[in-house]
Amino acid sequence: MNSLFDIMLSKPLPDAWLRGLLFASFTLHMVFVLLTLGTAILSVYYFIDARWTGKPEELRMDKRILKTFMAHKSLAVVLGVAPLLLIQIGFTVPFFTGVNLLAPLWMLVIVFLVVAFLSFDALGHKMYVHPYLHLVFGIIALLLLLAVPAVFVGILVVAENPEKWLTIISSGYKLRGSLALHWLFRYLHVLGAAVVFGAAFHYFFSAKDETEKRSLLKWIIAGILLQIILGTTLYSSLLEKPDYITNASLFIGVVGVALLLWIIYLNVGKKSTLDIRTVLPLLMLILIPMLLARQFIQYKKFLPLEKQLQANAQAYQKELQPYSQEALNKYKDDLKVVYDNGETIYSKSCAFCHGEKADGIGPEAKNLTIPPEDISAIRTTRTHLHKILVEGVSGSAMPYFTFFDRYKIDSLIDYLDKKYHVLSLPEPLPVKISDTALQQAQKIYNETCSGCHGMDGRGSALSKGFQPQPPDFTVYSLSPKRAFDVITKGYPGTAMPSFSNLPEEVRWSLVKIINDKRIPELTGRGKIRK
Amino acid sequence: MQFPIFQVPHLGNGMTIALDAVLHVIISHGLAIGAITLIVISEYMGFKKSSQDWENFAKDFLKFTIIITTGVGAVTGVGIWLITSALSPLGIGSMLRVFFWPWFIEWMIFTSEVIFLLLYYFTWDKWTSERKKQHIYLGAGYTIFALSSAFLITGILGFMLTSDGWPWDKSILSAFFNPSYLPQLLLRIGIALALGTVFSVAFLLFTRRESGFRKEALNFFGKVALLSLSATVIFTWWYFSVVPSSFKTHAKFAALTSHFSQQPEIFWIANITAAFLLFVLALSAMRGSTLLVKILILPAILISMGFVSEFERIREFIRGPYLMPGYMYANQVLLKETPVLDKEGLLKNAYWYNSITKRPDVVNQGAYLFAQNCSACHTIGGINDIAKRVQGRTEDGIFVILGHTHDMVPFMPPFSGTEQERRVMASFLYKLSTGRLKMGAPSRFTPGRWE
Repeated sequence: MNSLFDIMLSKPLPDAWLRGLLFASFTLHMVFVLLTLGTAILSVYYFIDARWTGKPEELRMDKRILKTFMAHKSLAVVLGVAPLLLIQIGFTVPFFTGVNLLAPLWMLVIVFLVVAFLSFDALGHKMYVHPYLHLVFGIIALLLLLAVPAVFVGILVVAENPEKWLTIISSGYKLRGSLALHWLFRYLHVLGAAVVFGAAFHYFFSAKDETEKRSLLKWIIAGILLQIILGTTLYSSLLEKPDYITNASLFIGVVGVALLLWIIYLNVGKKSTLDIRTVLPLLMLILIPMLLARQFIQYKKFLPLEKQLQANAQAYQKELQPYSQEALNKYKDDLKVVYDNGETIYSKSCAFCHGEKADGIGPEAKNLTIPPEDISAIRTTRTHLHKILVEGVSGSAMPYFTFFDRYKIDSLIDYLDKKYHVLSLPEPLPVKISDTALQQAQKIYNETCSGCHGMDGRGSALSKGFQPQPPDFTVYSLSPKRAFDVITKGYPGTAMPSFSNLPEEVRWSLVKIINDKRIPELTGRGKIRK
Repeated sequence: MQFPIFQVPHLGNGMTIALDAVLHVIISHGLAIGAITLIVISEYMGFKKSSQDWENFAKDFLKFTIIITTGVGAVTGVGIWLITSALSPLGIGSMLRVFFWPWFIEWMIFTSEVIFLLLYYFTWDKWTSERKKQHIYLGAGYTIFALSSAFLITGILGFMLTSDGWPWDKSILSAFFNPSYLPQLLLRIGIALALGTVFSVAFLLFTRRESGFRKEALNFFGKVALLSLSATVIFTWWYFSVVPSSFKTHAKFAALTSHFSQQPEIFWIANITAAFLLFVLALSAMRGSTLLVKILILPAILISMGFVSEFERIREFIRGPYLMPGYMYANQVLLKETPVLDKEGLLKNAYWYNSITKRPDVVNQGAYLFAQNCSACHTIGGINDIAKRVQGRTEDGIFVILGHTHDMVPFMPPFSGTEQERRVMASFLYKLSTGRLKMGAPSRFTPGRWE
């Protein structure tokens, strides 16, 4: 971890501002997250309840509850943008590492949310479905929705525990042991809060009569009691002893809980309804210190790490500094190169092997067992050259170039033809040969060469297994000089051996025999060079 | 790199982002901007002409639209960010630092947009008669915020292709108002309205039977379609005219892929035919030929989605080797980092590799070098499979090609690492390509579990 470093672009805001904004926007986000989750839980519960008790359609509260889902979830999503932005800027490395270690789940959140949102909104907007189908959809949507905070909590647990990162990886990217326990209580604590907030919201805004309010009040009280238990276990599952300020903050929250319970107790006694003007401030008095405590615990882990990451980033930045200008110049030069003409394409994509002069002696030729071909000696057809360029030569370094479209490949072929006449028939032999030598060569071709090249020059059955395969002499030739060289020295790295033991005149005769196999009609232009 | 590496197996990172992002663009442009603007106009028509038909059409269409935009549009939008956070943390993290303020303002705009949309939707039945006008203003207010979102996000998208002066001056203004900013903004508005009319026409045909209103509405949407399609064509041309030729020259390949790159005529034939069909749809809607519109509407929806996918694919593809041009390569290596890694070695600086890998053999080293250098675009055993890409090459051939990736294939970044590391990766890739090494479709490259 000591060698990890922060992103090397400066933070756009002072740390204090980042943290303040992060807390404020996260709190806002959480309010709507809790309302969304609470609404989903209650809507499914009251749907079942209504079916069970056979409540008439117009009295069903679950419809009224679910109708608010659209607003809650939309706001929860948009309000989440700011805290996500701020935590990614403020605590880049730990947050992204958390995300990365649980990456598949993190990305699945998108699917979970889309399915849950569509289902709940469709059910909430009077789209009639059979009750059983409604139930099935509702439950699936609820489970998917509840999985989302599980993932988010998981990622925060990972992010906050950098010393456990390697353990998490070695246990197959899963949380184990005390980490898993802490995650579980933390997650349940979120769900408990969702019940309290959701029930409180619908107590004030969805419930129409006393019975409904009383029923929701039960949810509120049960939720608070559950939270007290879950909160205590969560506190005991904290991986590090909380400091003074965390405890102070938690204490304020607990005082809020006590006050809220007391108010509810008084109201139940008087049989009157709760007043939003007292309950809402109290809920905030609970939520804000609780979230603050959470933030303090997080900072305790993040701040020292952040310091180290910043220092490492600065050191690395310094190391890279000397290369900065060079990189920018290279980029500027790159922008000027346009791969839309044969000349550029040749010099950038081909020359490093085939050489600037297309003689097969590029700077990389020395690294290849099978030397790059001397392009200037190639005498072939447009179709065949195109085939080589888009298929490559299997068994050699020559790759395929389909990443250039046909127009580009054509311009490359035109360029090579203009410069090196690659689309011509091979030139006549530069030396005179006798008939005896020719006869002797023909015999050698028939007995030896044809074993691989075939009598017709298209390659024998045996050669089909070769990597690379011998060329097809009916469409592909080399200049007599180059062909003579290949016969004399062989083609290194391939099955083509050296025939330097044959008399020179016989070798020239072989060149003629081979080049005579070219079928002139197959030449791209029918152009014969003298 | 300072982050562990994850790759989506089979699909690959690019396709994962593309699936989410294209869906988002179709909804955010077509519904959130295009359709809702037309809904507000429809409501206004109902108000001006005292027509219950227009009023009801607008209301019904809004219900459908709001469920899709808030349920799928918003989530897939944030989804692009969620996916990149997991797959390209250094890239998105750096982009966030450059564009913090646009992003932060976007948060406020986005929130206002949602609040206006919810108010617009929930007050529809409440703000009637005298308050109808106010309700229409509410809708207009929403469209202004929706357009402001496009205004902000386009700056970031444009930057990723035409970063202009930013690599030199690191100023937010040159990053944001980059050369492709204005044409792209106008193009996106054109696309939004064109998609919006296509969706509106579809909704109209599927939900309205009364022929008088249907003709009237078709005529109106036809006119808007004709206008917005023409604008889209013009702004597409403008947009591509400001993209540097060194990027633009790969546009055809981006659309055609290796499969069709040798029949480039397809590019023109398909695009022109598809655009022609959309114009036919617009004209037949204007002339009220319901039958023709009925026949063309489904193909038109597919064509429009195809165009959106094609545009985004080209835009994302041709920036090729760069994630942030002039600063960061697509594989999240900084331009200025490559010479250092070439000299010192990539593995030496790789915290996650060094902490996890127990056996530094060819396979483990090669897999990590692949992960860092190539896995942003190439998979093992999935889309753009590296084993298939190097199949048939000799090991020394792969070694040589690795040293020239950026020269040979201009939209690929260079390999970062020493010559020795290049040899290791060549050997690794050669083993994969010959089938001597089988890895399935891995998502993590560090654990030493391969023999």
